[in-house]
Amino acid sequence: MKNNEEIEVINEVAIKRALTRIAYEIIEKNKGIQDLVLIGIRTRGVYLAQRIAERISQLEGERVEATELDISNYRDDQEIHLHTSGFTPTIGSVVEGKKVVIIDDVLYTGRTIRAALDAVIDNGRPKKIYLAVLIDRGHRELPIRADFVGKNIPTSKEESIQVSLEEVDGKDVVTILKPTK
Amino acid sequence: MQKRLLILEDGNVFKGYGFGSEKETIGEIVFNTGMTGYQESITDQSYNGQILTFTFPLIGNAGINRDDYESIFPTTKAVIVKEYARVPSNWRSRMNLDEFLKEKNIPGLTGVDTRRLTKVIREHGAMKAMLTNDTYSIEENLERLRKTILRRDHVAQVSTTRPYVSPQNGRKVVVIDFGLKHSILHELNKRDCHVTVLPYNTKVETILNLNPDGVMLTNGPGDPTDLPQVLEMIKDLQRKVPVFGICLGHQLIALANGAKTYKMNFGHRGFNHPVKEIATGKIAFTSQNHGYAVAADSIDTEQLRVTHIEINDHTVEGLRHRHYPVFSVQYHPDAAPGPHDAADLFDQFTELMESWKVGNDYA
Repeated sequence: MKNNEEIEVINEVAIKRALTRIAYEIIEKNKGIQDLVLIGIRTRGVYLAQRIAERISQLEGERVEATELDISNYRDDQEIHLHTSGFTPTIGSVVEGKKVVIIDDVLYTGRTIRAALDAVIDNGRPKKIYLAVLIDRGHRELPIRADFVGKNIPTSKEESIQVSLEEVDGKDVVTILKPTK
Repeated sequence: MQKRLLILEDGNVFKGYGFGSEKETIGEIVFNTGMTGYQESITDQSYNGQILTFTFPLIGNAGINRDDYESIFPTTKAVIVKEYARVPSNWRSRMNLDEFLKEKNIPGLTGVDTRRLTKVIREHGAMKAMLTNDTYSIEENLERLRKTILRRDHVAQVSTTRPYVSPQNGRKVVVIDFGLKHSILHELNKRDCHVTVLPYNTKVETILNLNPDGVMLTNGPGDPTDLPQVLEMIKDLQRKVPVFGICLGHQLIALANGAKTYKMNFGHRGFNHPVKEIATGKIAFTSQNHGYAVAADSIDTEQLRVTHIEINDHTVEGLRHRHYPVFSVQYHPDAAPGPHDAADLFDQFTELMESWKVGNDYA
């Protein structure tokens, strides 16, 4: 897809606002931060998880754990399935008996989340698993839905969504790339 | 120029010269720390029944223009300045402050050391004051002043008596008018909201019959505890539709959810008030105008969460309901006058309406 038309759909302020709202909603749904673990999916989910954890800590005056998860071994589009732990060894079984919030930037087919669920469950038996995403763009191929959504953006399959975060891309912005005919 | 006196309830007397309307008046004296924005402030209905002092020494430099009115018939009792600009200089200016106050029948006082006056108010708190043309002796006037009981039905005086519409194609928003500023309608219209403005004493059924996507409670003058019937309305309303409150609307939401309000010593009036959003630690400079505030220790934390605080005195500046789609701020995100740091709260409101609608469609 060359010569994409780029349209900004969410600006920096709106991203901040969405993350703040998700932070409130996580606390409200969970009725506090008891047993809460935030898990960000690499790469951008990690930073979103850190930002949400930061907000929750400010609000509740107590630290919330934010860890990261590498799901590459669990993906279904790769031939070799190693099925080794997606967590770095030091984190180990942080999920056992916890309420886990999986955090990613875009929810699309649901396959990434399926892989993340497998990775989490391989590491223990969480009490509950929630899903928070910045963007839900539709087109699910698996029966998966998000509990916390920053913004629903209906898209066509030809378009792609680009989430840029300051920590990785130097700026906070969400754009849609439309293929030009 | 005509000599005119300002007499305060505590016995302080300030001598100055009259401008604007010539009538005598009695009201609660308050001060505003803004350097500009006098036109918006004077026409802000939240100053209903109050004598407005500007701490900045020269007021009226840019005259009065046709765009910056916040209400058509301002009900500010009187205006006190150190000096007013007789010859304004601005391309938008239509008249000077003196002509404007004459037209609106608001008396003014100039030639007063407003910074000393402010210190007096800060020390003694907001109090009754009188603007007089010296026909009686000071003692007689002071006695008259002390006997006067100020009206408390501020909202009834300034709220619209009939519903009206500020049309746009988009979400249906009902605005409950407690003394709204035009800038609130501007901000909502700008975000494609079709606004229906209703009087403050509208019944909840009437509001819900309009099937709004969201309801906004505006700013307004006076003590929120004087409006018990509104609290019942809010209690019912907040279960059924997203609600966003500003200023008086914020205090009413707090009261409706069991919190208490108190009268502040001298209030927050101006637009250099730093407010911190607790979740992000971000500071916004905000436009404020309130003499009452929500008591932090009275808030039922099972129902409400404090989202914003003022940095200097830790006043509660923002609330969010834990179970219903309700949030509110004590300051003015519509600015006018003041910085636009907080304007994205209106976006937050439209997002809330959007997600509430989506949730309802699928539920």
